[in-house]
Amino acid sequence: MHPLSIPFSRLGLAAGLVVVAMLLSRREALGLERELAVGALRAAVQLIVIGYVLLLLISHEHWASVALALAAMLGTAAVTAARRVEHGPSARVLAPRALVAIGAAALVALVPVFACIVRPSPWFDARYVVPIGGMMFSSAMNVVAQVFERIFAQAHAEAATVEQWLALGATPRQALASVVRAALRAAMIPTINGLVTVGLVALPGMMTGQILSGAAPEQAVRYQIVVMYQLVAVAAVAGALSAMFATRLLFTSRSQLRRRW
Amino acid sequence: MNPAAAMAPGTPLTPRLVAEGLAVAFDGRTVLGDASLAVRPGAIAVLEGPSGCGKSTFLRMLAGLTEPLRGRRLLDGEDALAMRPEVWRRRVAYVFQQPPMFDGTVADNLRAGPKLAGRSLAKADVEALARRVGLDAALLDRAARSLSGGEQMRVAIARALANDPGVLLLDEPTAALDPASAATVLGLVRDLAGEGVSVVVVTHSREHAEALGGTRYVVADGRIDPRPEDPCTP
Repeated sequence: MHPLSIPFSRLGLAAGLVVVAMLLSRREALGLERELAVGALRAAVQLIVIGYVLLLLISHEHWASVALALAAMLGTAAVTAARRVEHGPSARVLAPRALVAIGAAALVALVPVFACIVRPSPWFDARYVVPIGGMMFSSAMNVVAQVFERIFAQAHAEAATVEQWLALGATPRQALASVVRAALRAAMIPTINGLVTVGLVALPGMMTGQILSGAAPEQAVRYQIVVMYQLVAVAAVAGALSAMFATRLLFTSRSQLRRRW
Repeated sequence: MNPAAAMAPGTPLTPRLVAEGLAVAFDGRTVLGDASLAVRPGAIAVLEGPSGCGKSTFLRMLAGLTEPLRGRRLLDGEDALAMRPEVWRRRVAYVFQQPPMFDGTVADNLRAGPKLAGRSLAKADVEALARRVGLDAALLDRAARSLSGGEQMRVAIARALANDPGVLLLDEPTAALDPASAATVLGLVRDLAGEGVSVVVVTHSREHAEALGGTRYVVADGRIDPRPEDPCTP
């Protein structure tokens, strides 16, 4: 079977869907028209560019170019996850920690799968490594951003309780335990909900894409199962590492809660 | 020898808690420049002064919750910096002006400190703590946050005492209480000192300072000085 192709002219017609949202935004005075237009344009440009990059990576197979693409994706994910949080350190302080958390989470999810389960040949085959890697980075990015956001905000809101624990002889980890637990649970829940509802409500993008482009649904489904399990590991590892970094940043070497940034 | 007599204020014992030349600044503004204090076992030191003079900050430094820029803090001759912060804080207990109650019952709150160190308090220990601060045992199973302000203050003091500290730091313990609850808490503080606990109390109420009966100090100009005798005070 050959997939139906979309010429650029008809792609332009799809932009009409964004216009619907912009008209509604104007009618309800949401003030989102500009954001919608810029977002829609950025999405199109970024995806078209990455399409050509992928084409290039697949046709000129070399491990170094695949590594470079992954590094660029990882760097962008880290910078995005480390946006300035309220009542927390600057993005410059958060970004390297986000990089480690996202990178480590992706490694935990990717290495065993490419070594034992999917086994592309060559092992750096861009067709597999880049899109699956991208899904892991993106999921880890969201988890890290959410964990940073929540932990710094909650530690600020509950500073008196955290200090009360410290005053009773708690270690920083003990003093922040309930804050960290709430942040990690909140960050894991979308992934768990995804596991529970997948196939019932939404057909995941990767699986849909594979089926649309002519893959056997039964194989597409197996890929999707592997990816969903990978996402669980990514959320857990990225969440745990970013929570650890946030805890360390929140306390001085003498275990005092930092209130000024 | 009767230990209570040996610990009575005025006896020439080495101090339990010593602060020497503590200094602290916020945003470049010096709050305390050279604050010193020594408290013997069983003694009460009462710190008075206008709000914003650094009384609470001084207490936080004694508790190890704020790090001084300069100066030393000693507990039984041992420097705070030579001790793990958790160990120091178990021995130098700090009760906040409005102490937050943890989730759960009063009994859960009283067990919190020892639990952090891996110890679980027996029911009898919890009841003894409640008795020590004059809390009705019937309150132990109530949600801590449902208690009145005066009861919460006593829960907070009992929760601090559960770690068996040698020093108790109290930040305005009566500020948010009605006169009857305040009188109960002041009596409790005197009793604890009688048991040998060294107490440092911050208050802006002259009446409560007098009721505590300890040594009174004034915090001003970044220093802590013994309160000058005021012949006009009735």
